[in-house]
Amino acid sequence: MASTAMTSAGISSEAPRTDFGRVLEQRERRFAAALLAPAFLALLATTTFPLLFLVYTSAFRMDLAMPFTNGFVGLENYRVLLSDERFWSSLLVSLVYTGSTVALQVIIGLALALLVMDMKRGQGWFRVIAILPVVLSPAVVGMIWRTFMLAPEFGIVDFLAINAGLGSKNWLGDPTLAMVSVIAIHTWQWTPFAFMVLLASLASLPDDIYEAARLDRASAWQRFRRITLPLLRPAIVMVVIMRTMVALTAFAAIFTVTAGGPGTATEILNLYAYRKSFTELSIGYGSALAVALLIVTIVISGILFAMRRAK
Amino acid sequence: MTARRFRIIALLGISTVFLLAWAFPIVWSVLNSLKTDTDVLAYPPKLVFSPTLEAYRDVLFGSGSILPNLLSSIIISVGTTIVTMLMAVPAAYALARLRFRGKKLAGFYVLATQMLPPVGIIIPYFLVLRNIGWIDTYQGIILIYLSFSLPFAIWLLVSYFEDIPFEMEEAAYLDGASRLKTLWRIIIPQVRGGIAVTVVFVFLNAWNEFLFAVVLSGNTVRPVTVAMFNFVSVEQTLWAKLAAVSVLAMLPVVVLGVVAQKHIVKGLTVGAVKGGGRR
Repeated sequence: MASTAMTSAGISSEAPRTDFGRVLEQRERRFAAALLAPAFLALLATTTFPLLFLVYTSAFRMDLAMPFTNGFVGLENYRVLLSDERFWSSLLVSLVYTGSTVALQVIIGLALALLVMDMKRGQGWFRVIAILPVVLSPAVVGMIWRTFMLAPEFGIVDFLAINAGLGSKNWLGDPTLAMVSVIAIHTWQWTPFAFMVLLASLASLPDDIYEAARLDRASAWQRFRRITLPLLRPAIVMVVIMRTMVALTAFAAIFTVTAGGPGTATEILNLYAYRKSFTELSIGYGSALAVALLIVTIVISGILFAMRRAK
Repeated sequence: MTARRFRIIALLGISTVFLLAWAFPIVWSVLNSLKTDTDVLAYPPKLVFSPTLEAYRDVLFGSGSILPNLLSSIIISVGTTIVTMLMAVPAAYALARLRFRGKKLAGFYVLATQMLPPVGIIIPYFLVLRNIGWIDTYQGIILIYLSFSLPFAIWLLVSYFEDIPFEMEEAAYLDGASRLKTLWRIIIPQVRGGIAVTVVFVFLNAWNEFLFAVVLSGNTVRPVTVAMFNFVSVEQTLWAKLAAVSVLAMLPVVVLGVVAQKHIVKGLTVGAVKGGGRR
């Protein structure tokens, strides 16, 4: 591995044969180590160490409210977890939330990108306005939707629903509607991301293939199905992978809007781990839930990466 | 009506709907921040009203002012950005340009750290910080923010370092310049633009963070995203003030986002393109 990296890396690539070359190489290695050290020490301290400590805590009963019951319990937390209905329901909520938001983002984003691609004027509007939702804090987005958009009557969504003859709805109080609402909010905020990425890759597709297809009298649908979609596949898969990782660990936009409620209707696994640890102060079990979330993340990304390599 | 004209009208209609849908919640918050509570609660919603800056005056200078929280947000974001850049620039240069064993592994490690769910980081971190008394301190928050800002900054910077031609460095070495001097005098000036873009994104992510902030903040350190909750309680919601605070929390990131408009796709997809392709 090192030798292939060397030739591609440039500077004094013919040197290693001589003593002088070896000295140079050693110096470069030391220089690299010095440059990397601060960042890698920080990453070890803020990611790897917490991970190990998390797995360690998950083997304890650690209840901040009742410290006298604390102690080593081995795999007990995981045994409890497997028969914990709230865990399974939060996992299901996570999967529904992730699956639906990612699908919606990709479908709407792609459709819109195809539409805007053909526009001669007005593309600039899309480029500027699409940026707005994605740069906002999900916490602020959640707060705005919870109040000015979804509040009964004067909230704009409810106002529109009333005028459309649907009547005023309890958008965040009804279990099903609350789930629909948090999915809609996430989709609102992140569809512009899919849109911008797909628009950028659409713009980079070669024109001549389409020219040839037109000469062959391929229909618009055929062109989309046989040319655009296969060429866009890498970009679509990338968007799916990135958005899946984020949706699985979404927090702020659900926390601010419903806090997982009503009941546990919108409680994704991430939120359950948080509530268990910091609201119910049962840190040991919360850690086990976080480890479960990590395993779910790894399994899902493993599947997605396998799909990416296939075909 | 010809099919062509129909197509154009449909296109225009769909475009308008989407542009409105994306812009409206933000514009609506701005409008509400300029209203009185009575006007915010009016039914049907008021588009025309006499604007007032009262809500801003209250949240900034009234009792329970959010100025300290805005200051908190600024200290956290600026602090995170400085520390991140000091570590990420050298690391990214090494990963992009130097030869050493285990380089691919190092790059992969940086990417893999991003797989960790934040909630899995904050639980053990909370325990550690509680033990050393770093809850509700700037150093505590800034340190843990490195967990997401560093991998991001390193990968974004690597992509910029890779664009510089090797000849520049070679010429400097032949002139007898040391490696550090070359990096500082020759390379860094070449990636000024990339560094600026990275600064924007790191600042933006730190400003927007919520989960770590909500766990680690207290009376001393409480960024505006957390302090927002002061305006909504079970008893009452201070509508106009909440709108004003939301607008203040949005303002810096919207400005930065629009300024960095051209780089936003690259900033959003960094790591995925490169690292993902390698795996």
